[in-house]
This record gives sequence, structure tokens and C-alpha cells, in this order.
Amino acid sequence: MSADNLDGPGAGGPEQGGPELTGDDRLAAEYAMGLLEGEEMLATRGRMAQEPAFAALVGRWEAQLMPLLDDIGGAAPSPEVWDRISAELADAADRPGEVVVLQRRIALWQRIAAGSAVAAVAALALLFVPAGNDGAVAPAPAPGTPPLVASIPITDTPLRVGLTFLPDRDELLVAADGLTADGVHDHELWLLPPGEGAQVRSLGLVAPGTQKRVALDDDLARAMKQGAQILLSQEPIGGAPDKSAPGPVVAQGTLNTV
Amino acid sequence: MQESSPEARDRLKRAMDRLAAGDRGALEVVYRLTNVKLFGICCRILGDRKEAEDALQDVYITLWRNASRYDASRASPIAWLATFARNRAVDRLRTGKVRRGAVPVDEAAQLADGSAPADAMMIDAERTARVHSCLETLDPKQGGPIRTAFLEGQTYAELAERDGVPLGTMKSWIRRGLAKLRDCMERGE
Repeated sequence: MSADNLDGPGAGGPEQGGPELTGDDRLAAEYAMGLLEGEEMLATRGRMAQEPAFAALVGRWEAQLMPLLDDIGGAAPSPEVWDRISAELADAADRPGEVVVLQRRIALWQRIAAGSAVAAVAALALLFVPAGNDGAVAPAPAPGTPPLVASIPITDTPLRVGLTFLPDRDELLVAADGLTADGVHDHELWLLPPGEGAQVRSLGLVAPGTQKRVALDDDLARAMKQGAQILLSQEPIGGAPDKSAPGPVVAQGTLNTV
Repeated sequence: MQESSPEARDRLKRAMDRLAAGDRGALEVVYRLTNVKLFGICCRILGDRKEAEDALQDVYITLWRNASRYDASRASPIAWLATFARNRAVDRLRTGKVRRGAVPVDEAAQLADGSAPADAMMIDAERTARVHSCLETLDPKQGGPIRTAFLEGQTYAELAERDGVPLGTMKSWIRRGLAKLRDCMERGE
């Protein structure tokens, strides 16, 4: 027991006394209320993702507090809000076409690789490498460079995030179609290039339930190499506020050739 | 028109089931039945009509993408949707995407709190939930800030400033209040 002066009968009456909520129950209640901020909020989000018992505690507080929302009066949004929602849904319905095209390209690559056409092209290309080139300066990827892929399994689930990088187009295909958002977090992908002292770089947010195409800038595209680690972190909605520091890493994988 | 009648609740439940099964048309039904309730929540938390409309759009788009997460055995559709909207709105505040109250909500646009409008979907139409009566048993110094924190998404620091007390005092009030609230609600289970 702390010697908190509020415990004293003279400091506002006995009604204000009594013990404070402590431990996980306090954290769960404060998280459900939205009272946590900064580091404490992020750490608690990490626990929500990793500890089902703690998540259940938060869920229980939420369920108990929720009827209070009836005390808020209703309000009518402008009719344009539905129009915007409707337009966004129509857009989303159009997009899978592109993804299918990309998947066909990848399938084509896999067949080409199997037929060792790539090996033949590579052998030819070697003839033109000037003597003395130690390979430290990578040539620009020739059109037709095979894709790199990474599979990132989500712990304790059959789910995975699939990454396919197309070097000749500096495009990243992120397949997160099996995932669902929880409404309180975003997940962010990060590239950790091989080698000591390498800086982690953000590859952007994962859009759960979708397959999307991301254009990478030159610098980032060059860092997408075989053997690089891909990390998946849990972040506040909107992504990591500090792009040099991922939140809790919840899954990872390695970039490899097909 | 939004109603809290058993028929409306049934329609919402069926639409949520269809949505979970991937029926895009069901989203419009869910929207028509719930937008007034959810927009009221977003307005109250964000304090800005435009931000609240952006949040509302985000809520329904996210709902469409994640409808399969709704578990009918654990919460009524309206309770789940209201929780979802509230948490998304509070997140927008916390991640600094929104400056609270940049343009105040037109008071006429929002029905007065506590008026329990007949045309709004209710989570707890009969007000049988323990939280109502339990909150009333608390000292107003504890109960008031708990209510405000929950309904307006305020932080400890904002609540302390509003009531003109040190941060530590506000934390202590709320944590004592929450302990009592938990004990009271557990007695009712």
C-alpha cells in the first residue's frame, strides 16, 4: 500500500479511497479505454497480438464498457460519404486484374528458370563483363532478371504474407489475402539487407485481405537482394512513426530466387 | 431511417452474415442501418465533421475487407460495429492524423447526448448493462473522467488539464474508479 494522501479520509471523503486497479487488469482496462499513449500503448499492442489471455482481458473490458456508447447521440453524415465508400469498393474490385497478370508473369519465370534459359542468358552476359570487375558495383538488372520471393509465415497460424520482387520493374507484389486487420493495428514490412550494420528500411504497410503492387524507388530496389531479411512488424494505425525503428517484429522471412 | 426495432436488428444481423460471406451488396444495407449511430460516435470522438466523415468511410471500407472477423457468438452486430468505429476514431486521434476540434461539429447536426433517439440503433436498448448503474455508484470525480475518457477518447493528460489537477491525481482517480467499476460489474455477472 502506498502512502497516497488520497487514502486519507480528509482528502475528499472515503468515496475516493480504495485500491487502484493494478497489473494486467489495469493495462487491459486502460488499453480498452484508449488511455494509453506512446511506448506503453505500443508495448501493450504487442502483447495483444501475442498473448490470447491478455487480449481476452481487453475484450472483456471492451464488452463491458461498450453499452456506454449508447449515450452518444446519432448524427447524419453527408450523402457523399456513401458515394465515396461505394467508389472505393468498385476500385478495389477492379484491381485483381493486374495481380493476375503479375502472377502469370511469375509463372512464366518459373517455367523459364526450369528450362534453364536463364542460365544461357547469364553465360552470354558474362562474356561482356570487363576484366577486373570484382562485382562490387552491381550492373543494372538486365531486363528479364528473375524475381526474388519471400514467404513470411505468421506464427501459430496457417497464414503467410507472400512477397515477390520483380527486379526488372522495381515492383514488389505483396500478397496478404489471408490476413485480416484487427482495426487497431497496421502491419508494416521492412527490409533488412544482409551484412553487419545494415539499416532496416520500410517497405510500406501491409493491406490485409489484398494483393497489392508497390513501386520501389531505385535505392530501395537495389537493396532487394538474395539473402536479405524481410520483417513484419506490428505498428499503430498509419504505420511506424519513426521509419528507422520498427515496432514489435511478429514474423520474418528471407528473400530468395524462385 | 434507422430503427432499433427487433426487425432492424434482424436485418442487420442477416446483412452482416451476407457480408462475411463476401456479398458486397450487403455493405449498403449495413451502412443504411448503422451510419447515424457510427457517425455520432466518430463526431463525438474526433470533434470535427470532416475528420469524422473520413473516419466513417475508413470504418466501412475496413469492415468490408474484414467482415469475416465478426464473431456473431460474441457480440451483437451493433455492439461490435460501434466498438470498431470507436477504436478506429480513437486511433486516428492517437496517431496524430487528426487535430481534434479544428472545425467543431455543428451542434444541430448531432443529437443531444443521452437523448436516446428512437431512430438510432442501440447497443443496449433496455439499458440493462451493469456499466450504467455501476458508473453511477462511483464518486463523480472518478466516474466523470472515466465516462469522458471513454466517450471522447481523452488522454490522462487532457483529463487532468480539463479538471485542473496533477496528472498523478487524475491517474489515481481513474484507476480507483476502474477497480470499483470492475468489482461492481463482477457482482452483477
